[in-house]
Amino acid sequence: MSAWGYGATQLIGVLVLLAGCAGSPGEGEPVTLVFKYARILGNADPLPTLLREFEAQHPGVRVKGEAMPWTSDDQHQFYVINLEGRSPGFDVLMLDCIWTPEFARAGWLLDLTPYLQPGELAPFFPSTVASATYDHRVWALPWNMNVGLLFYRTDLLAKYGLQPPDTYEALVEQARLIRGRERDPALDGYLWQGKQYEGLVVNVLEALWANGAPLITDDGAVFPEPARAADALRFLRGLITSGVSPTWTTAADEELSRRAFGDGHAIFLRNWPYARDLFESEGSAVRDKVAFTAIPGRARGEPGAGSTGGAHLGVSRRSRHPELAVALARHLTSERAQRAIALGAALSPSRQALYHDPELVRRNPAMPRLHALALAGRPRPITPYYLLVSATVQPEFSAALVGVKPPERAIDDARARLGHFLGALR
Amino acid sequence: MLLLAPTALALGALTVYPGAWVLWLSLQHRIPIFGVARFAGLDNFTFLSVDARFWSAAHTTAVFTVASVALEVVLGVGAALAIHTQRRGRAVALSFLLLAWAMPAVVAAKLFEWLYHPVAGLINVALGRHALNWLGDPAIALAAVTLADVWRTMPFVAILCYARLLAIPADLYEAAQVDGAGRLATLTRITLPLLGRILLLAVLFRTLDALRAFDIMFVLTGGGPANTTETLTVYAYRALFQTLQLGFGSALSVVVFALVMVVAWAYLRLLRAGSVAA
Repeated sequence: MSAWGYGATQLIGVLVLLAGCAGSPGEGEPVTLVFKYARILGNADPLPTLLREFEAQHPGVRVKGEAMPWTSDDQHQFYVINLEGRSPGFDVLMLDCIWTPEFARAGWLLDLTPYLQPGELAPFFPSTVASATYDHRVWALPWNMNVGLLFYRTDLLAKYGLQPPDTYEALVEQARLIRGRERDPALDGYLWQGKQYEGLVVNVLEALWANGAPLITDDGAVFPEPARAADALRFLRGLITSGVSPTWTTAADEELSRRAFGDGHAIFLRNWPYARDLFESEGSAVRDKVAFTAIPGRARGEPGAGSTGGAHLGVSRRSRHPELAVALARHLTSERAQRAIALGAALSPSRQALYHDPELVRRNPAMPRLHALALAGRPRPITPYYLLVSATVQPEFSAALVGVKPPERAIDDARARLGHFLGALR
Repeated sequence: MLLLAPTALALGALTVYPGAWVLWLSLQHRIPIFGVARFAGLDNFTFLSVDARFWSAAHTTAVFTVASVALEVVLGVGAALAIHTQRRGRAVALSFLLLAWAMPAVVAAKLFEWLYHPVAGLINVALGRHALNWLGDPAIALAAVTLADVWRTMPFVAILCYARLLAIPADLYEAAQVDGAGRLATLTRITLPLLGRILLLAVLFRTLDALRAFDIMFVLTGGGPANTTETLTVYAYRALFQTLQLGFGSALSVVVFALVMVVAWAYLRLLRAGSVAA
């Protein structure tokens, strides 16, 4: 054997030895699990305590929580770069529910189906379980829940003897009436999110659903009801041109609209449940003057449904400790953990029972009401191509809202572009 | 030959190899996470040639580049002249300029996000009843983004020009005074011509940066409304990192690369012609 051959054999021997060590930690050797997540907003971050609890239950296991970039775009980019490479460097990951099918299809997530006990997912909202499921397999455990809500000013509605609107038409009517009588130029009617970003897609989806116009069907048809879809866009544009919504709606994201409403400058607001905690906080201008109801429907259309969102916990398929990683994901999505998170931060649980939990209801009396609305919520299209679909329709929706394209053309262009890009995938 | 090897190796590894790889990717339909990988020939480029979003992004990039570089030059030269004539507090003025320039683009963008805030922003509060929808109106969003970029990058031009001004010998101005040249004549006949070469260099750097502008619009508007602030690099980012279309995104990058190369080549020719004439 040549010197080279000898060296190579030795090297391979060492590598095998190393791989063996890495693959099966011996008794007593410490195991480190890495958990990637975005910092939770709120008065007390409950996560460190929850991670220490898990370590106490699993001697010899250390859990390292690693914070991620803030914005959803940056998080997605982080995952794409790290999961497509060889070793991701983390075991459990928090992911936006809209990414689950994409990550599953890409082969980045561990299939959790074999680890699940029968009925284990029954306590969760069906819509969040649906968004964690792809190809009849479960790829993640729902961690928290989000649903679009219509906030309104109880004081102003009561002053004019109005009930919260259940159609967009009624909302427009009420906004006109109240603004006409209040004669306050700083009071806007209805605030929502019309900036060119993911939030715009959520807002338009809710208008599309109310008008019976899906964006994409299960068999992949894009805008199967183009006339109804265009009509929904025309309605949204009309909100701005008629002055029911301010012109800056086309630059508004969640926080911009939440702040204006929170300062008392609007009657209605479409936003997520986190806004309620801020409206009810000390020093808020609208404290005890706000309630929420379902996203409106259309007068001759379907009843309204809020779009759902939220985060899931998945396990990297390259995790070297899949059993432990699944146990950690299960621990963090448990009822106990979710109660702690709901108490310490403004995140809504993905488990339905917690919405009637006495401790949580005492802290937030609107929990049972939120439960009903979250249960009625609809997930955004569940497809591995969601980001492609969203990035393609965003500029078209925006163009219709700011009036540079007629709604029909915006829908036509979106269909043509989606057809081209989705076609390249087949 | 051997002495060139490290340079050649570094260039090859860092520039030529990735560049060639992007060029190769641009000729494919390639979305690795969905297992799409097939040769596409010039498909991606043919699509770009009729892609309204691409042409809109190209147009936005061009308008942004011309407008921002022109404003930077005018304001930068103005600022340099102002500081140069100032007798006291030059150091303070320079440090303020540098502060703006040293600020990361994302931080500057966040700052302007607050300035442009439709309800509580300083600008709209000052405008009162004439408040504008800075980032949500397709007619002015690009101007708003351009102004934010000019604020951050104008100091670069100003400082380069200021350095050149310091190097102009005082006797030149004395001679001009003796010859009876007024202020305007001194400015147009002496100062500006002497600034010419350094300005050309500043414009070259700023143009190449502006052609690849990304952060400021990505943070302020995300490319909206109606894509009116989407530059070629923002479009390429969306294709590459958001929707993971490596082939199509690479085709966009190749176009940006070609554009930058052509512009750089044209400027360098200008610079060389200038040095021969001088």
